[in-house]
Amino acid sequence: MKITPKQFALCLLESVDGQPASQAKAVIKNFVELLGKQGRLGQEEKIIEEFGKLWNEKNGLVEAEITSVRGLDKELVKLLKNYIIKSSGAKEAALAEKIDTSLLGGVVIRYGDKVLDGSLKNSLLELKEKLVK
Amino acid sequence: MSTTKDFIVEQLKKQIADFKPALEERTVGRVIEVGDGIAGISGLADAMMSEMLEFETAAGLVSGVALNLEEDRVGAIVLGDYAKIKEGDQVSCTRKILEVPVGQAVIGRVVNALGQPLDGQGGIAADKYYPVEKIAPGVITRQSVNQPVQTGIKAIDAIIPIGRGQRELIIGDRQIGKSAIAIDTIINQKGQNMKCVYVAIGQKESKVAGIVAKLRSAGALEYTTVVLAGASDPASLLYIAPYAGTAMAEYFLDKGEDVLIVYDDLSKHAAAYREISLLLRRPPGREAYPGDVFYLHSRLLERACKLNQDYGGGSITALPIIETQAGDMSAYIPTNVISITDGQIYLMPELFYQGSRPAVDAGLSVSRVGSAAQIKAMKKVAGKMKLEAAQYRELAAFAQFGSDLDKDTREKLERGKRLQEIFKQAQYSPVPVANQVLIFYALINGLADDVPVEKISDFEIGLYKYAAASGDVLKEIAEKKDLNDELERKMKELIGDYKSGLDYLIK
Repeated sequence: MKITPKQFALCLLESVDGQPASQAKAVIKNFVELLGKQGRLGQEEKIIEEFGKLWNEKNGLVEAEITSVRGLDKELVKLLKNYIIKSSGAKEAALAEKIDTSLLGGVVIRYGDKVLDGSLKNSLLELKEKLVK
Repeated sequence: MSTTKDFIVEQLKKQIADFKPALEERTVGRVIEVGDGIAGISGLADAMMSEMLEFETAAGLVSGVALNLEEDRVGAIVLGDYAKIKEGDQVSCTRKILEVPVGQAVIGRVVNALGQPLDGQGGIAADKYYPVEKIAPGVITRQSVNQPVQTGIKAIDAIIPIGRGQRELIIGDRQIGKSAIAIDTIINQKGQNMKCVYVAIGQKESKVAGIVAKLRSAGALEYTTVVLAGASDPASLLYIAPYAGTAMAEYFLDKGEDVLIVYDDLSKHAAAYREISLLLRRPPGREAYPGDVFYLHSRLLERACKLNQDYGGGSITALPIIETQAGDMSAYIPTNVISITDGQIYLMPELFYQGSRPAVDAGLSVSRVGSAAQIKAMKKVAGKMKLEAAQYRELAAFAQFGSDLDKDTREKLERGKRLQEIFKQAQYSPVPVANQVLIFYALINGLADDVPVEKISDFEIGLYKYAAASGDVLKEIAEKKDLNDELERKMKELIGDYKSGLDYLIK
């Protein structure tokens, strides 16, 4: 049976979990050798991506993206971060900020599979739909 | 003038003031691959089976349906133009199972598989939506068929009767009048308290346009909905169309009304489903159809039913159509659908080319439950006809070799010839049930034995006219739905009177 990058990543995560850095190094070396033997070194990028996802999941880290028109002040970002942590049930959130002037106002928060669209653009679209009805 | 303007402005202000943008969380994913009408999506962890999805493309929204829920991806069919979708486009869940508009508003319309109008007569203001997929009514709610569907086709009403709530398959090769039977049946439902749904799956749009024009000119579009998934539509729409049509029928079923639904045709539906399944990488089976192709049709046809009075007493009668290749009834899809339905009308190419149209084969066609629904008068006259029609075909083939036949066989052959002749019927000319009873009565009682075979159709048409003009025998048959000695005497008398004015009888 073909082993998927996700399965490789899971293996790696299980074997390095809870190990001190020196031992983890040895484990990683073994792992890379295994990949080489199986001829899977080409899938390195995919495995790393999957590993990142699994690591985040295990350690309660959620990746989030906040899009706004002009950038937000620190206080607001902190509030949003708290909100994300609360609603996703994660321990920690890694935030990335993005600027998009087409939103007109408000913010769009994206974390995991979820999108919370609080932009003015979206509200206007909804208003339009409601009025057309 | 100004008051209306003020009113509008005021209303607008009020509406805007009342408007609260709903801030809600949506579940989204990203397209990882797209092609041939299907898309692979990552994310969408809480997508539901057959949930409607929205692809947010640069060229506007495109809808889709989730069909495969896998560990780390969702396989979806795209309903619409998949060429607009690009890798990386955002896809969001709608929290709605695929549904179509139903109700009075769809009657008389031509719609696509999603219930959107195709006839250019404006939007459909449906107040209700029904899910496309629905579990069929259970045992407790059902009842065996007890009311006839009058197809207006003599050969069918006499020997393969169809009841309301029955599923009768129409099967035969291409171009031998399968759709014609279904269309004639729809036309004949005028004034019979029936709603009709005609689902065209993979049909040529020109053919469907012709059918719609015919239905309109016959006044049949007033109670008919046409659901069209044409030959140029993507396989996903072809796949959904029959379920959408059934959802529209179920609205009337729930109101206790009778509905007739025609699926034209299910072999193209199976082929469309095969296409989708192969693209979604489901394992192929016999003839490359996926393993659940039987369930595909059984769950559809099981939704045809007759409900008992406690549940409204409505019914859905289904007339699925299957096209065979060179008369091969034992192919995969035909055998499947034959085993699901309550009988089949088999159309035979030889009969068709001999000019005996509709080319219904009396031997291979059956109706497993329909005879319970026949009206008593028809049952009395049509009882022996199926046997006689089947025997005649055998006898006729045998009699070609020898000319010396005993009297009994000769009589049977003569009777059979006339029967065959009476079963011939032009397209778009349904015959009311009372007229059918009258002509069959004349035939089985030997009253047509002295009419030359080639004059039978003249005799028939003349008899209808004569009966309509003189007396109320036809009316009596239609109202009583049964024959008694008194009525039989009247019929005999009527036929005798009519014959006395004819000059072509054999002396």
